[in-house]
Amino acid sequence: MTGYTAKKAGYAIEYIALIAVVLIVWCVMAGRGTLNEIIMPAPSKVLDTVTELIGSGVLWTNLVISVVRVLKGYFIAVVLGVSLGILIGLSKHAERLSVLIIQIIKPIPPIAWIPLVILWFGIGESGKVFLIFLGSFFNILINVHDGIKQADEKYIEVSKSMETPFFKHIFRLIIPGAAPNIFTGLRIGLSSGWMCVVAAELVSSTTGLGYMIMNARQFGQTDVVIVGMLTIGIIGKLMDSLLRAVEKRAIKWNWSE
Amino acid sequence: MEHKYIEIKGLSKIFTRKKESVHALENIDFSVDRGELVCILGPSGCGKSTLLRAICGLDTEHSGDVFIDGRKVIKPEKTRGMVFQEHRLFPWLTVEENVAFALNGVDKDTKAELVQQHIDLVGLTGFEKSYPRQLSGGMAQRAGIARALVNDPELLLLDEPFGALDTFTKMAMQKELKQIRKKSNTTMIMVTHDIDEAVFLADRIIVMSPRPGSIVKVIDVDLAEPRDRNSYEFLEIRKEVFNEF
Ligand SMILES: Nc1ncnc2c1ncn2[C@@H]1O[C@H](COP(=O)(O)OP(=O)(O)OP(=O)(O)O)[C@@H](O)[C@H]1O
Ligand SMILES: [Mg+2]
Repeated sequence: MTGYTAKKAGYAIEYIALIAVVLIVWCVMAGRGTLNEIIMPAPSKVLDTVTELIGSGVLWTNLVISVVRVLKGYFIAVVLGVSLGILIGLSKHAERLSVLIIQIIKPIPPIAWIPLVILWFGIGESGKVFLIFLGSFFNILINVHDGIKQADEKYIEVSKSMETPFFKHIFRLIIPGAAPNIFTGLRIGLSSGWMCVVAAELVSSTTGLGYMIMNARQFGQTDVVIVGMLTIGIIGKLMDSLLRAVEKRAIKWNWSE
Repeated sequence: MEHKYIEIKGLSKIFTRKKESVHALENIDFSVDRGELVCILGPSGCGKSTLLRAICGLDTEHSGDVFIDGRKVIKPEKTRGMVFQEHRLFPWLTVEENVAFALNGVDKDTKAELVQQHIDLVGLTGFEKSYPRQLSGGMAQRAGIARALVNDPELLLLDEPFGALDTFTKMAMQKELKQIRKKSNTTMIMVTHDIDEAVFLADRIIVMSPRPGSIVKVIDVDLAEPRDRNSYEFLEIRKEVFNEF
C-alpha cells in the first residue's frame, strides 16, 4: 500500500518537475535583472497582470468570446465531419469522388484562407467561425473515414453470416467499431479548432484572446501576451481532458476497469 | 434427382497473394445427411477452417461446389450458424448484446427470453453484462457458441469450439451439444483437434491430410448412446483414427 502511494507521489513529481524547473530558472533570471522587461517580463509582473486582467473581467470576457467562436465552428465541423466521414467510409463512389479534393484542400493552413474569407464573409463573426471550422473539419473527417474503413473484416463476416439488416450493420457494428478513431478525430478537431482561434481573430477582430494578444503586442505589453498564450494553452488542455473523459465513458469496452 | 442435405463436390481452393500461392484444399468430396454430426480432424493448416468457410458461404472463390438442400451456396445465410475458431465477439457489446445481435425481426420479449436461455445453456449466467475483454478465453468461446445457437440454425458449423476449454467444461459442453442435437435435430459439422472428442460426438469422422488438404479417410462411428469413453468399442475406434496420424 505504502509502495503504491510512494509510486503515485513519484509520478506526481515527474509531472510537475519540468514546469517547476522552468519557473525557477525564470524567477532566478528575473531576480538577477538579466531579463529585458519587454522581451521577457518577470514572473511577478505576469502574476500581477493575471490578477489585474481577471479582476477587470477583460480576460474572462475575451476567453468566453473565443470559446464560443470555437464551439460554433467546431460544432459545424463535428456534424459535417462525422456524417461525411461515415459516408465516404461506406461508399466507394463517395470516396473516389472526394478523396483528391480532400487531400488537396487539407494541407492549406487556415491562415492562408484569411484573404478569401474576408472577401467572402466580410469581417464579421461568420468568417472567424468558418476559419475554425476549416481547422477542425478535415481532422475529424479523415479520422472518421479511417475508422469506418478499417472495420475489422472478421466482425463484418460475423454480421454477414447472420444476415444482419443494413442499418443495424452500420449502427451496431461499423460505427461502434470506429468509435476510437471517431473520438481521436473529435479530440484533434477540437484542439486544432482551438489553435485556429488566434488566426481567426486576426481577421480584424476587436475581441477574443487572439485579439487580446495581437493588441498587446502593438503596445509592447509582453506580460499580457504571455497571459493570453498561457490561457490558450491551459484551456486547450482542459478541453482535451474533458473530451477524453467523455470518450472514456462512451467507450467503456475499450478501457480496463 | 435425389440429393443429400449437404453435398460438397470437387472443392479445391488455392490462395494467391502476390506471387505466392497456397494450395489449401484439393478435390474435397463428401456429403452429409440431415441431422448428422460430422467431425473433421486434421493437422494444423490443412484447410479445415477454409472448408467450413466454404460451406458457410463466406468464401465462394474456389473451384467445385457446395450444395445445401440442392441449392448451390453462394452467400452466408442465417440458417447456417457459425462458431468461429476465434470467438469474434464484438468488443463493444456485452455478452447478452452479442448474443442478441444474431436475432433479427424478433420481438423484444422473445428476444430477451431466447438470449437468457442460451446464456444459461452455455453456463454464462451472471456474466450477461460483461464485456468480452472481461471474459476468459473459454468463456468467450462459450458466448460465441450461444450466439450461433440462438438463431436455432438448421446447420451448425463449429470451428474448434471447445479448444480453449478445460477438460471438465469441455465434457459438459459436449454433452450439451448432444442434447441440442437430440432436441432440434440440428445438422452439425465440427472441426476439432481432439480425437476423443471426435469419437465421442461424431456419427462420422473425416480425416484430412496436410496441405493441400484432402480427405484421407472417412470413419463411421457406430457406437450406441450414451457413449462410454472407456468402453472397448470406443477405444477401438479411437485407435483406428489415431493410426491415421
Ligand atoms: N486468407 C488467406 N490468405 C492466404 N492463405 C490463407 C488464408 N486463409 C488460410 N490460408 C492458408 O490456407 C491453409 C489452410 O488454412 P486453414 O485456416 O483452413 O487451416 P486449418 O486447418 O483451419 O488450421 P488450424 O487447425 O491451425 O486452424 C494454411 O496454410 C493457411 O496459411
Ligand atoms: Mg482453423
